Amino acid sequence: MSGTPVASTQSPDPASAATQEPPQNGLGIDQLVLQYLRSRGHTAAEKALQESVESGSPDDKGKSSESTASPAISSEELIRKLAVFAQKPSRPGENILKETANVLQELAAMGNPSSIQNLIASIGTLGAEDILSLDPTDKTEGFRELEAWVDGSLDMYRPEFRPILFPIFVHFYLDLIQFGFKEAALKFYTVFSPSLSASHSSTLHHLSTLLLPAHVQNDELAQRFRNEKYAVRMSRSGFGLLVGWLTEGVGGEALGAGEGFSGEKGKRGRAAVMRVVNNHLRFDVTPSSSTAVSPYAWEESTGLLSSIIPQTSGSSTIVTSALTFNSSKGELKLGQPPLPEELRTETERVLREQAMVDRDPAAHYDLQFLRPPAVAGVTAPSISDLPPHPPAFKTIDVNREVEKIRDARKRIRLEPSALHGLDANSPQAAAARSRALPSICCYTVHDAPEGVPSCTFSPDTSLMAAGFSESYIRLWSLKGEKLRGMRSDFQSNAVRDATSLKKIRERGGTTTRKLIGHSGPVYSLSFDPLSGSAAPPKYLLSASADATTRLWSLDTMTNVVAYRGHQNPVWDVQWSPMGIYFATASRDRTARLWSTDRTSALRIYAGHLSDVDCVRFHPNSLYLATGSSDWTARLWDVQRGSCVRVFVGHQGIVSTLAFSPDGRYLASAGEDLAINIWDIGSGRRIKKMTGHTASIYSLAFSAESTMLVSGGADWTVRCWDVKGAGGLPAKRDGMVNGFGSESANAKDEESSETTDLMATFPTKRTPIIDVHFTPRNLCLVVGPHLSPEQR
Amino acid sequence: MSKPKARGTSTQLTGIYRADSIRDVAESLGITNLTDSVASALASDVEYRIHQVVEEAARFMRHARRTTLTTSDIDQALRVLNIEPLYGHSAHNPPTFRRALPFPQLPQAGAVYFVEDEEIDFDRMLREEKITLPKPVSWTAHWLAVEGVQPLIPENPPAIPKETDMEPPVAGAKSTDLPRTSSLLPTPGVTSQTSKKQQQQLVKQVLSRELQLYYTRLTSSLLPPIPSEQAKRTAALASLRHDAGLQALLPYLIRWVGEGVVGALKEGAQSDQDGRVLEVLLDATGALLDNNTLFIEPYLHQVLPPILSTLLHSTLPPSHSTHLRTMSSQILSHMLTQHSTTYPSLSPRIMKTLLLALISPGKSKGTREGAIRGLIAVGKEAIRKGLVEGGGAKVVGSECGYEQPGSLVNSVMDAFRVLQQPSDMPVSLDPDNDADEPVVTQLHEVLGDFFAERLVGDGVWARGVLGISMET
Repeated sequence: MSGTPVASTQSPDPASAATQEPPQNGLGIDQLVLQYLRSRGHTAAEKALQESVESGSPDDKGKSSESTASPAISSEELIRKLAVFAQKPSRPGENILKETANVLQELAAMGNPSSIQNLIASIGTLGAEDILSLDPTDKTEGFRELEAWVDGSLDMYRPEFRPILFPIFVHFYLDLIQFGFKEAALKFYTVFSPSLSASHSSTLHHLSTLLLPAHVQNDELAQRFRNEKYAVRMSRSGFGLLVGWLTEGVGGEALGAGEGFSGEKGKRGRAAVMRVVNNHLRFDVTPSSSTAVSPYAWEESTGLLSSIIPQTSGSSTIVTSALTFNSSKGELKLGQPPLPEELRTETERVLREQAMVDRDPAAHYDLQFLRPPAVAGVTAPSISDLPPHPPAFKTIDVNREVEKIRDARKRIRLEPSALHGLDANSPQAAAARSRALPSICCYTVHDAPEGVPSCTFSPDTSLMAAGFSESYIRLWSLKGEKLRGMRSDFQSNAVRDATSLKKIRERGGTTTRKLIGHSGPVYSLSFDPLSGSAAPPKYLLSASADATTRLWSLDTMTNVVAYRGHQNPVWDVQWSPMGIYFATASRDRTARLWSTDRTSALRIYAGHLSDVDCVRFHPNSLYLATGSSDWTARLWDVQRGSCVRVFVGHQGIVSTLAFSPDGRYLASAGEDLAINIWDIGSGRRIKKMTGHTASIYSLAFSAESTMLVSGGADWTVRCWDVKGAGGLPAKRDGMVNGFGSESANAKDEESSETTDLMATFPTKRTPIIDVHFTPRNLCLVVGPHLSPEQR
Repeated sequence: MSKPKARGTSTQLTGIYRADSIRDVAESLGITNLTDSVASALASDVEYRIHQVVEEAARFMRHARRTTLTTSDIDQALRVLNIEPLYGHSAHNPPTFRRALPFPQLPQAGAVYFVEDEEIDFDRMLREEKITLPKPVSWTAHWLAVEGVQPLIPENPPAIPKETDMEPPVAGAKSTDLPRTSSLLPTPGVTSQTSKKQQQQLVKQVLSRELQLYYTRLTSSLLPPIPSEQAKRTAALASLRHDAGLQALLPYLIRWVGEGVVGALKEGAQSDQDGRVLEVLLDATGALLDNNTLFIEPYLHQVLPPILSTLLHSTLPPSHSTHLRTMSSQILSHMLTQHSTTYPSLSPRIMKTLLLALISPGKSKGTREGAIRGLIAVGKEAIRKGLVEGGGAKVVGSECGYEQPGSLVNSVMDAFRVLQQPSDMPVSLDPDNDADEPVVTQLHEVLGDFFAERLVGDGVWARGVLGISMET
């Protein structure tokens, strides 16, 4: 819907302006010209081009697509395009065209159509040099003007205008590179990138590596910028001002900058900006006033959105915003999964029996936990909605459910809200802290100089497993029990009953065990959840760089199955909350669903534009969340395999995810060092929490879903209040750290901490790679200790 | 990945990989007629490819949960990009690059780096070097936080001064099935003695010189208590009562009080001097408790023993005994009102100590009196429980016999007065009256004969003490 207003103000023919941006842009313009020349023969082309050079009139539309689009700069522009076209076959890095003779010589050698030789010859030595040396300046000037205008605009509009700078910068840079002006491009980059690097450092760095036209053609990011519209959200009045500046050069320019606009240079610069605005930007004009939008809102509505948001097949309209997509996907069933009726009655029976035996008067309250009250506002799924599970239940299921209920009763309640509105120095605050904050037990892994790529705890906290870069997995018993596998020299027909099974167990044994089988670093581990917190798990899954996922039996301590299917390293693996199924995330841009009894994938979830870095199951196993290097997270319907939600807002790779146990929220952490909390039902971001100073590796919710604990490469564990309002502290004497700080002025650099950061617990040189809440709300964290000698 | 990028934006712009290097490589391959344009184009391309590999390697670095790029990451990246990896580099011994001496004849060549290739003499190696196996991977566990407070143990980083209010909490009481090993050494089980010592050292480093000076001045002005320096003491106590920022000193002050009390009581505590010392120490404790900028909760278990010792000590200096016991009971009462809500086990603990002192046989009169004063401080319910229901009055009564009323008896009567005000117009209980008869019996049963005699004269009072409502 947007974009057209600008187009109409500038181009005499909006229709042709719209058509002049074919989907495979980039090389499109050049090829169009080439085709055109070839189809018409040399003389005609030459004549037409000459004509346009001399007259500079836009009336020869249809002859050259570029000239119709930009009447104001037609002559120089056209020549420049052609010059690039001419240089293309020889691929020079420098402005070799400065010497026309040189070009002609080369062109002749390449056997190019003589029309171009003629054309360049006709421009003459002086002309070509002039044009080419002059040309890059319009971009530099244009960007300078735009930046000055944005910085000079009113405070209320500046946050709105700032996001425009980046796409225009990118396109100018790519233009310069593509036209072969490497030096000019580098200069442009040096001058203007520092002001943008705060929020776009990774993209900027990537751009700076593109130095040749061929790179622009082949690079994925550059092509996305070329072929997709960059969405920018703006208020109506702000948009009006922008249009005014682009067309007239008026409307809130900085003082003293006005001189530039009247001159020819200013006009050309603006025209260059306008060209990018018309071709590559899409304005999302909102009726709301510019002050009503939160400062982070631009993150969600700005960027190359069109490819990030999945398009619904069959519908003709193109969905352009994440919100529209999310609302078009309808309601989700986010409630707790139902318990099969027989299993429930059996669990009730066992609980009653145990209450009788224990003479525990509190035990009969347990039964109420069996039927948890429905959470308002979410639909609970029925059994038929769940992925198929075996119809009969086993003792292990009953034990799990019984233990779950016991855990619910014995849980340490954590109430982050207890800290609200308390003076941090008052004696009450200390007590409130103990109610609000968890106890954290830190497991430190020593003598792992290469780091530990993955580490995880079993649901009953009896085992810890760590995957290493050296391709092996190490298993530890945290209870100090011996881990014993099976002997390999037994006759399978000799095994008849439990006692004979005991005989073939290995003798001796230690409390740790090495599992060998992978041929690449082990990036993720997951214990099977079937026995819950009642008993040690029976299986372990591991994902590795060797593109396999392996299933390990903890009875025999051996590898049972290798699941092959991914073509690339598997970054993450997780069991479904009810066992049997598991999901993997891989560098091949897909996530896959597997069942343990099949060696091929059941579902492939494709749609991310880059690596899928992490995968998590929704607690009711109906949905699957994936986080990706394309800076988004998606929610998939496990059974249908379709994307049902997309979460846009991170400004970096989404590195880890966590579902709240009540099933309503998704927390995601990204390389932008922020943690976002999303409302899954609506797909909206609830808040953004910042405070970490290095990559965040792991997130975990407390059992009540009121607290989030995160651990990362900055050697800290941080506790966040999920329900708190958050936001950056308005005054610096606020409760920055959960403690009122007497030395508030000493923490200038910590001002990025949002107010919902309740506490920070530093460790000694231990990056926290996994954070885990036991069902009773004890927090376990693990990380390798880095010896100080390491860099 | 993000960090090096942020840095990299401004530094390299004209290309890291130089065209000269391309030309050098070309010459080594026998291509001499390489034009400038080709060389620079190739250099740009090489740089782009290197960046491609590095960006890919950064993903592997991130997934390996590291912040340093290693050669193994590059290997993995090359593998997935379908390029043969470079063999011979391992992350265990990263190659060290040496800078070559500059060539005087070719100054424009710039710095040349090369990988040092060490020559290993096998004979010497076999003869001398003992190959030691690297230590296997192991783990230790410790408390990073206990109910939201980070314990100051060697495993945790020393607190930075602004966080000194996170002093060691009462962590030992928490029993869990989780293994607790208390050292960063891979061998678990270093004795708690050493770890305690380390802890003290850690805290000591944090104390600023000013605070140390303040501590010395403060303690020297309080003790020894010279009567003429009353003003100085008052000033010191006021400072303790009102100054913020004493949090870091709190453990030291409390230890100082504790040691002082122990010292004074150990020597029999008969002289007036000891009495004065105890008085000052109690004053200091009270002042610390009064200071509401201090977070004293984690130390309450250390504050309690000196107070209770003073309160329950059998022989206090006669001149000060009543005053000291009253004062310590007041402090106790103050502490309970302030902290019993946030420290739920506080009042049960105190009650237990007091009851033991009151009831168990063989305690001196002083102890008994202190216990009763303590019970008065705790509250009505405590008095009822200790004196009436627990039979404290009976015990005291039987021990006193029919001697002249001393301070012990006075204290019991005080306690009764707290339970129920004696009526203005006492109506004595009549053992022959039907209504009064069970009360009198009960009075004798519960309080013993000694105190029953004293209460029998006031019916309303006696009923109140026994907890019988007025209507009966």
